[in-house]
Amino acid sequence: MNKVIDVKKLTKEYKNLKAVDNLSFEVYEGEILGLLGPNGSGKSTTINCILSLLNFSKGSIKIFGSEMTPDSYELKKEIGVVFQDVALFEELTVYDNIDYFCGLYINDKKVRKLYIEDAIKLVGLEDFKTFYPKQLSGGLLRRLNIACGIAHKPKLIFLDEPTVAVDPQSRNNILDGIKILREQGATIIYTTHYMEEVEILCDRVIILDKGRIIASGTCDELKALSDIEEKISLEINKLDDKHLEEINKFKTVDVATYSNNTLLITYKKGKNNLLELMEYLKKERIKYNNIFVERPTLNDVFLSLTGKELRD
Amino acid sequence: MFFHNFKYSLKTLFKNRMLIFWTFAFPIILGTLFNMAFKDIESSEQLDIIDIAIVENEQFNNNEMYKEIFNNLSDKNNEDRLFNINYTTKEEASKLLEDEKVSGYLVYEDGFKIFVKTSGINETILKTVTEEIKQNEIMMNSLTEIEIKNGNYNYEAISNDIMAIIENSEANIEDISSSNLSYTMIEFYTLIAMTCLYGGILGMVALNGCLANMTNNGKRVSVAPIKKSKLIISSLLASYIVQVIGIALLFLYTTFVLKVDYGNNLPLIILLALVGTLAGLALGVFVSAMFKTNENTKTGIIISVTMLGCFLSGMMGITMKYIVDKNVPIINKLNPASMITDGFYSLYYYDTETRYFFNIISLIIFAFILISISIFSLRRQKYDSI
Amino acid sequence: MIVFKTFLKVLKSCKTPIIMYTVFLVVFGGLNMQTSDTATSFESTKPDILIINNDEDKGITKNLIDYIKDNSNIIDIKDTEEAINDALFYRDVNYIIYIPDNYREDFLNNKNPKIEIKSTGDYNASLAHMMLEKYVKVANTYNAKLDNEEEIISNINKTLSVKTEIELTSNLDTNNLARATFYYNFMNYSLLAGLVYVICLILSSFNEIKVKKRTIISSMKTSTHNKNLLLSNGLFAIILWIFYVVLGFILLGDIMFTTHGIIYIINSFIFMICSLTIAFLIATLVNNKNAINGIVNVVALGTSFLCGAFVPMEWLPSSVINIAHVLPSYWYIKTNELLKTIEVFNFETLKPIFINMIVILLFTILFIVITNIVSKKKRKIN
Repeated sequence: MNKVIDVKKLTKEYKNLKAVDNLSFEVYEGEILGLLGPNGSGKSTTINCILSLLNFSKGSIKIFGSEMTPDSYELKKEIGVVFQDVALFEELTVYDNIDYFCGLYINDKKVRKLYIEDAIKLVGLEDFKTFYPKQLSGGLLRRLNIACGIAHKPKLIFLDEPTVAVDPQSRNNILDGIKILREQGATIIYTTHYMEEVEILCDRVIILDKGRIIASGTCDELKALSDIEEKISLEINKLDDKHLEEINKFKTVDVATYSNNTLLITYKKGKNNLLELMEYLKKERIKYNNIFVERPTLNDVFLSLTGKELRD
Repeated sequence: MFFHNFKYSLKTLFKNRMLIFWTFAFPIILGTLFNMAFKDIESSEQLDIIDIAIVENEQFNNNEMYKEIFNNLSDKNNEDRLFNINYTTKEEASKLLEDEKVSGYLVYEDGFKIFVKTSGINETILKTVTEEIKQNEIMMNSLTEIEIKNGNYNYEAISNDIMAIIENSEANIEDISSSNLSYTMIEFYTLIAMTCLYGGILGMVALNGCLANMTNNGKRVSVAPIKKSKLIISSLLASYIVQVIGIALLFLYTTFVLKVDYGNNLPLIILLALVGTLAGLALGVFVSAMFKTNENTKTGIIISVTMLGCFLSGMMGITMKYIVDKNVPIINKLNPASMITDGFYSLYYYDTETRYFFNIISLIIFAFILISISIFSLRRQKYDSI
Repeated sequence: MIVFKTFLKVLKSCKTPIIMYTVFLVVFGGLNMQTSDTATSFESTKPDILIINNDEDKGITKNLIDYIKDNSNIIDIKDTEEAINDALFYRDVNYIIYIPDNYREDFLNNKNPKIEIKSTGDYNASLAHMMLEKYVKVANTYNAKLDNEEEIISNINKTLSVKTEIELTSNLDTNNLARATFYYNFMNYSLLAGLVYVICLILSSFNEIKVKKRTIISSMKTSTHNKNLLLSNGLFAIILWIFYVVLGFILLGDIMFTTHGIIYIINSFIFMICSLTIAFLIATLVNNKNAINGIVNVVALGTSFLCGAFVPMEWLPSSVINIAHVLPSYWYIKTNELLKTIEVFNFETLKPIFINMIVILLFTILFIVITNIVSKKKRKIN
């Protein structure tokens, strides 16, 4: 597979803070790469460095095999960016906003017109063409923000947290749109701190913390890194300490805790755990209500790698 | 691409209502206010016909000469008419003065006596005129004495001779002042200066939209395949054109509606307006490029600089400019608002153009220095932080 | 209490404009504050004259200069034609007299030499012109009959020394009253600008949708909250007013301790109340913080220009005065102007002042009613 982006040993330092620390990774053609990490982990900084907006201290960045500089106009033509903050002209309509930004890439008016229609259709803003940004809801605004970034049909797309503070309907629309873009052949870099999105969307994930890569791979590969296999939680009105102690002694149990009428057990390995537990509870005549069985999430992976939660 | 960005820059600037208010409507409103307040100032500073009263007593009525003189001074057909005289009784005159219907009243009893309420210009004129009448009498007497001393006793001949001399001794005085002396024009010149510099806000907004370290839109255009210089120049050109349109509207309004007099040299007036607008643009570029804060603060900076500059060039009191020019000229030599105001002033008031071109060159240097400093910052394409 | 505290915090953030308006008041008030003694005897108005003497300062030329000097304020200006022209344009001098070279000689030879002058054309210049004309005429007349220069000069001076007796019928302290009126007229701008700016800014901060939602769901009753807010604004207005009045005592002195002074203060108090309601009305109409600066300028500058706060009312065109009747500032300033001329206070002289005050109060009520209607309408839309 062709390398679209090749980042080697990228380091970006602010006065007393290493925002990006010796980062190396590649992005391959046609994939959706997720950059996952908490706020301030260096996702946006990395993207800004790749786009040659920020000076960086060390390292090299190549896009489509050539060095990226502020003057690499041929490269820039193939790139579309959707920044975290909404970047739009309050004074222009939905259509004019897309036309303006698209016009920076595409000179031919006829082609541009087709492209704009495509972009509007992609984000589902057909009914809002003549609206001004002020008249749009938060979710629609985000969709317009995306349309402006991708209308020129770039081969490489950066999406920096495009779904922050967006209603579920708009979020689904955005996620569907991204999938369509990939089907059309674009390579996508997607940063977020929502692990659910990454799991739905991304072929490959890089987890960042404090400017460093702490893990990378497909979702399944990453989940394998977790020392947790399964989580079971039950609602129990009364549980003696004795019983808790006994549960903790089960072979596969990592740790069991009881608080707020809930028993939470995490398992290192994942076979017949539930059965064993049910039999124990039946034997000890402990009454329980709801049972939830969960597979580990990327949050658990992050937790076990860094000792903290992904979300603040 | 140049034209594409130019077109949209124009569109966004024109649709920004707050901007349009500051650059187009605000100066026009302010100009209208100036006009309302100052329209009559200068004519009210001219000498009006003064209302006075003269007490009609026997002594006055018997003095044909005085009666004749005052008749003449209050004659409606006399070009040099000074007074509107109310001949009346002492009580009535006193009442008229109390009610401020007259500036003063005159009683003639072995000499003039004047009664006034305050010390002022009208009262002084009344006093001066009565003194002049008395002085003419004394002059006649002295001259007669001189004649008699010289051995001439023919009174009739003396009298005729003296009358002839007085007739022929008119002062030879020529007024060489410029006809363009309307100092309230300065108010409108500062208004133009203010509008030129306020225009900087447009330039600032336009440039901000191109800079990745200032706005989100700036980031977006920075990753587009366009040369930064091309982008900036086309945006600034758009802003300059909007500014010039604003100034042109203000010129049309002030010239045709408010009847402001900018002098007769149209090409030089236009040149000054264009250069003044450029200075405003330079101010906007400088503030946009050199201060890394939000747009509101930048607007605040430009407004403060402009208002301070206009204050020093006489917007809130015309004498302010004169005081600064006279005592600390260096301040107004550095003040773009004053350069613009003074440029219009020299076109209006002076016949020579040296002072005008000094102002034009000062403005160009001002713009050049600000833009040069800004270019150092604008040349950067990658930033240390965003 | 907490509302008031927050009010003070927001107030702190807009102290700069308040200071600016106060400085304007002091500077412009102060400019007209040249100390003048209480005038009980008549003082002639003296025009500002500049004499450019190209002749020798001797004999008849010297006498002319001395005469002008005695009857005017001689202004000293840098001796360049540009400085002189600027001085004339900006009314630093009213009248410039150029005495030509060889004036004395030509005069004595009966050539009636030409004197060039520059004039601003206003009444001071007219007075100066009358003075110069009179002098030259008298001098020419004696010159026609006499040959001895000294004799001519002594005759001229004898003739011109005649004065008319003049009596002031009023012992009103006009100078100080004019100063007080000027100060209180300018207060129209400072009070209005200060109150409208601050109250609009503060109310728009409190009214910002998100903040408003928060206060509505807080445990404090909405009406209590609003009442506190009103009280805070009222308190601020009173403090600002007291500050300006105290400043007036400092700048104006004794005049403020008279009946005149008390009426100035009462009048400004009533106007302050009215300004407060204007500020509330504008704050209700406008929620955009960015627009406030422009609106303050238009409202405060506009009323000040139109109603004669900056430019004396008698100099305004009658059309402007007619328009001004619909503004409360007009009635406020009219009272200040009236005060300048009232000598004895009785029902007759005070009646117009009472009427003015009642008109301002009617405006106040009108503004309150409109504010209520507007805010009710706005609530429905939300």
